[in-house]
Amino acid sequence: MGMKGSPICADNNFTGKGKMRARLRIALFLVIFPLLLALSLLLGPSGIGIPDLQSPSGSAILSLRFSRLLMGMMTGAALSASGVVFQALLRNPLAEPYVLGVSGGAGLGATLTILAGSGVLSTLGLPVVAFVSAVLTLMVVYGIASQGSSGQPSVYSLILSGVIVSSICSSIVMFLVSTASVEGMHNVIWWMLGSLQPVTASQQFLSAVLIFTGLGGIWLLSPQLNALALGREMAHYQGLRADFIIVIGLLFATLLAATAVSLSGMIGFVGLIVPHVMRAMFGPDHRKLVPLAALGGGTFLVLCDAVARTLLAPVEIPVGVVTALAGGPFFLIILQRRMKQAWIA
Amino acid sequence: MGQDALIFKNVSAGYKQRRVLDSVSFTVREGEFVSLIGPNGCGKSTLLKTAAALLKPLSGTVELFGRDVQHIKPAIRASMLGVVPQKIDSPMAFTVSQIVMNGRISSMGRWGTPSSLDHDLVERSMIYTDVLDLRDRFFTELSGGEQQRVALAMVLAQEPKIIMLDESISHLDINHRQEVLQILMKLNREKRMTILLVSHDLTLSAGISDRFLLMEAGTLAKAGTPAEVLEPELLSRVYNCDLTVQQDPYTGYLQVSGAMDSLRRRKKLERSVHVIAGGGSGIELYRRLLIEGYEVTTGVLNRLDSDAEAARALNIPAVLEQPFSPVGAAAIAKAMEMIMSADAVVLSQVPFGSGNLVNLQLAEAAIQRGKMVLLAAGIGERDYTEGKAAVDFAARLKRDGALNWNSIHELMAQLQQQPHY
Repeated sequence: MGMKGSPICADNNFTGKGKMRARLRIALFLVIFPLLLALSLLLGPSGIGIPDLQSPSGSAILSLRFSRLLMGMMTGAALSASGVVFQALLRNPLAEPYVLGVSGGAGLGATLTILAGSGVLSTLGLPVVAFVSAVLTLMVVYGIASQGSSGQPSVYSLILSGVIVSSICSSIVMFLVSTASVEGMHNVIWWMLGSLQPVTASQQFLSAVLIFTGLGGIWLLSPQLNALALGREMAHYQGLRADFIIVIGLLFATLLAATAVSLSGMIGFVGLIVPHVMRAMFGPDHRKLVPLAALGGGTFLVLCDAVARTLLAPVEIPVGVVTALAGGPFFLIILQRRMKQAWIA
Repeated sequence: MGQDALIFKNVSAGYKQRRVLDSVSFTVREGEFVSLIGPNGCGKSTLLKTAAALLKPLSGTVELFGRDVQHIKPAIRASMLGVVPQKIDSPMAFTVSQIVMNGRISSMGRWGTPSSLDHDLVERSMIYTDVLDLRDRFFTELSGGEQQRVALAMVLAQEPKIIMLDESISHLDINHRQEVLQILMKLNREKRMTILLVSHDLTLSAGISDRFLLMEAGTLAKAGTPAEVLEPELLSRVYNCDLTVQQDPYTGYLQVSGAMDSLRRRKKLERSVHVIAGGGSGIELYRRLLIEGYEVTTGVLNRLDSDAEAARALNIPAVLEQPFSPVGAAAIAKAMEMIMSADAVVLSQVPFGSGNLVNLQLAEAAIQRGKMVLLAAGIGERDYTEGKAAVDFAARLKRDGALNWNSIHELMAQLQQQPHY
């Protein structure tokens, strides 16, 4: 046995230092992210700084900025946390809500709802229809991938059939858009580009409930997500109901992604890259990673939205453009420096 | 031995299209150290997966400590049975201690917060398997052998009563393989942990196992003590190649080794060489001649000679004589028969004394009958006979056309130039 005195002492020191650094990073993040959120309240097409709260227009502007902050937090947190789960369950660094066709299915459902017309269905029904169609898509993907394999589909067949079903969904959306009325086309395209324009209060409330449910469920699963990183077989040997947890995890992640899509349209990048960056900064332990990724994804999207509405004011840039254009280089630098901590495959 | 730990009752298992296990029945008792052996693809891994309820049997039942494994709660099952797979991999940058902590997952509370007991067990397992130094390293950066020890630490932290290892020690270097086996034996002896080890090292397993389970094409070919299962004919049939089993005269351990027969079949030259050797001087000749594709015969050899052992292991027909006795007429006649059917006779760098001088007489008879004879150079230094009889023989052989060889390389070249008879 290698019970040599000195290396273990050195290791203990190292452990202490490593853990201290990790805690420091988390503490720093918890201080910085509220500041960044506050910063976003200062940015808007009407000018930089706190608007005059005495005037009715000033307080209206602040409340509008605040509700966009809420929209951004919800959408970003949902997309990012959902990406964390997809990457953990599929054990693949390219996994994200789009890859299994979940976003595509949700998008198709949402498009149908938007085109179907106005009223209760298009506001309250949107998250529900999006979720239901996302789950249906997931079931189709899972069913196709299971064909020919003995019971459980492999990750690769899941991803492959996910990509196929996803492109079928987007083709149908294109077809619907091209045959729709001008107004319907405008609505769908505007929604597809992605935007944090506040939706109705009732839809916001419903979405918040769904997102908190999803986040809470995933957080409860986080120890099991750690175990599943070693694969379904090993998790089974360690006493987990691996297949059950995979299905539950996929459902929660789908709920989050579908709700985000119904709230803000197709916003890319957040669900794929933010989980990697958070993992690189804070390690892969899901008990920490899930809440941190939710906060990080939300903050990132809120900031991007603030930039999107301010930069070319009064023209608003689609937020999905900003996420990739502004976030891309920034995250590339982080990942390059800390790639080892993110993902080794 | 205690109660029955693992029972297979007529278990057939496999996948939709392919049945891998066919009506397998056996019992492993608590505290036993059992090795599961058999050729690749015979169903060993499927058996482990079925035992751990990862696969549901198509028919039959698997019982863990008297309960149907399909009906045991997963967390309880994990406290009974731990599996170290052939290889585990984690794509994400988990540290070694985070990986080992996974072994405690079904014992931890809802929030997955480890208790001090969990930390102690993790630390102890890492000390046992000599990975404590690695605990802050990334699992993925470790070597295959280090990863295997971490996997074992993780399963030990699970504190199972039975531990199954699926060829888990084959990646380990000899030092750590020995260590891991010692850990397993210690756990087996002191904690009465039941061990089921899938192994390809039959010799190693024979030394440490109470019992062997030998599998053949999805069925159990034989179960029993190592001596009962390690039957040359049985093993040769199951593994589809010639295997020999020998008992180490000092330790009493059984040793299984493969013969070189397959190499011989690969390229047949249809030419044969008779080797006159002794004292270990023939082994390298046998090996090279077989690889080159010659049919090889040898003799006369003392039955205890290491060349005789080698010839037996390589399935080389050999004329043997009892030790410490003169070479009899029967042996001489048989050797002459071999020489007559050979194309050439090669004499190794064997020392000559009065006991084996008869071999030089055989060589002389060979050359007189027109056989090619190749003689290792420098016989003068190896001649221990009275009156240098061997040197005289060598001189006569050379006069009659025998060739000298200095290196095996040279010898092979001379043999290749030899015309076909």
